[in-house]
Amino acid sequence: MWGYPEPITRLIEQFMKLPGIGPKTAARLAFHVLSMPEPDVMQFAQALADVVHRLTECAICCNITEQSPCSICRDAARDDRVLCVVQDPKDVMAMERTHEFNGRYHVLHGAISPMEGIGPNDIRIRELVQRVGTTDIAEVILATNPNVEGEATAMYISRLLKPFPVTVTRIAHGLPVGADLEYADEVTLAKALEGRRQL
Amino acid sequence: MKIRELTLENFRNYEDQTVEFQDGVNVFIGDNAQGKTNALEAIHMLAVGKSHRTARDPDCIRAGQLRAVVSGAVTVRNSQASLRVELTQGGKRAFVNGLSQAKLSDYVGRFQVVLFAPEDLQLIKGGPAQRRRFIDMELGQTHPSYLYHLGKYQRTLAQRNRLLKQPRVDWDSVAVFDAQLALHGAQVVCRRAQFVRQMRGYAREVYRQISDGRETLDVTYQLSLRTPDTEPASLDLSRVDDVRAWLEEALDHRKDADAAAGHTTVGPHRDDLAFTLADQPVHVFASQGQQRSIALSLRLAEIDFIHAETGDYPVLLLDDVLSELDDHRQRNLVMSMKEKLQTIITTTSLAPFHGMLHREMRLFHVHSGIITG
Repeated sequence: MWGYPEPITRLIEQFMKLPGIGPKTAARLAFHVLSMPEPDVMQFAQALADVVHRLTECAICCNITEQSPCSICRDAARDDRVLCVVQDPKDVMAMERTHEFNGRYHVLHGAISPMEGIGPNDIRIRELVQRVGTTDIAEVILATNPNVEGEATAMYISRLLKPFPVTVTRIAHGLPVGADLEYADEVTLAKALEGRRQL
Repeated sequence: MKIRELTLENFRNYEDQTVEFQDGVNVFIGDNAQGKTNALEAIHMLAVGKSHRTARDPDCIRAGQLRAVVSGAVTVRNSQASLRVELTQGGKRAFVNGLSQAKLSDYVGRFQVVLFAPEDLQLIKGGPAQRRRFIDMELGQTHPSYLYHLGKYQRTLAQRNRLLKQPRVDWDSVAVFDAQLALHGAQVVCRRAQFVRQMRGYAREVYRQISDGRETLDVTYQLSLRTPDTEPASLDLSRVDDVRAWLEEALDHRKDADAAAGHTTVGPHRDDLAFTLADQPVHVFASQGQQRSIALSLRLAEIDFIHAETGDYPVLLLDDVLSELDDHRQRNLVMSMKEKLQTIITTTSLAPFHGMLHREMRLFHVHSGIITG
């Protein structure tokens, strides 16, 4: 039986390790690489190598960075007293795009999910508690996702932070800004109603 | 609600068939295995986008064909709509007035049916899981937020159970799931109990009609845990906060049992519906015929429930149920339904319709995938 030459097979196998890529897509990508100009392929390979070699975790906030401490942790203009806890580096980007938050971050790298084998010790909770215990933080905002795992993680952290003199808050859920009430689904509306505040 | 016209293309044993219904009673008559149930299945599909018989949509595609289409013209609260469901091997699409609906949940709920099929006897004879599914299906159709809480509850339960399967259980982690489990669990319990309270009156009345008032039916929502120390003696199932507090307490109380079992032993995933007839538990004391009548009463109670919730009566689909009731009960049933409802019935015999005038019902003959009026 005829098979692909060994280097192609190997490349296909590598692509298949990526999420959402099956054997057919992997083969298509591999053959596309074959048809690319050599400098492009080299750049691609270099980019892959760089994510591994040039990125580390920030020693303070655990976000991914080229240089530890990261640029946000080094920024003297930021408010040390407010700490926003997020699940992923992508969430830091999302928060930063708002230009509304001027505190510091802590990146957990995941949420507690026993079904996926992720316990409290597998994400950066220990680092967070240590940080809260050793620096002068007044408020910790828990901005984990509003799903079962994110809520469980938020609750776990809030329990751990009980002994410390910090205010622990949870981000609000509810109506998206600019949405009309009549188009909101029941569940979102109920959540928004739950989190109502006095004017 | 009414269905005025139904068209089947390559659906089950139908190649291309259009049927026009009348407002009152419509009867499909034919021998076994001719396609009577398939026609009801199609109407069910048109209403909820799913078959009542199979979870695999492609099963409904006629052998050798790539695509099945069910379409129909319906009247809902005096306005007309055309509905259409297309099934292929790869998936399905639903249309309202020619517009494709992005999600099936956007489609369902418009046109409602209540279907009673012989397998509904399992509501009485089968396990608690079947009775819970009955409640979940009903509440899901009328209250989308119920499905939100149920989904969250099930997800949280799965996470918690995984923790309980560890050789050394990490109770700190279990505790953070308990809070959510109690939060969503209380919502599930209270909504179910409320639903059962509503259904109770309706089912009792229907049962009284079918049985000529000889017996009194009672239906109650039963919490899973009934040990003396956690017995919720005075727990009011209409107070979400109380139920939540009780659930949290019960979860804590059952820690050791849960760890030993490797899963959560208390909560709405273990609750049940309890039926009694003249104060006797039904699964022990009721006869076959009585059990059938109870299952039927429960289904027919849905009609009143949907009417109370939406202000409109659903279309009633009865799949071969008359043959299971005695003459007396058959007649009571046929008489009670012709008043307010559009009903579509399959039968192998016309005997139960004796005494009904011809203009009161429309008869369709079904023979090897062809329906003639």
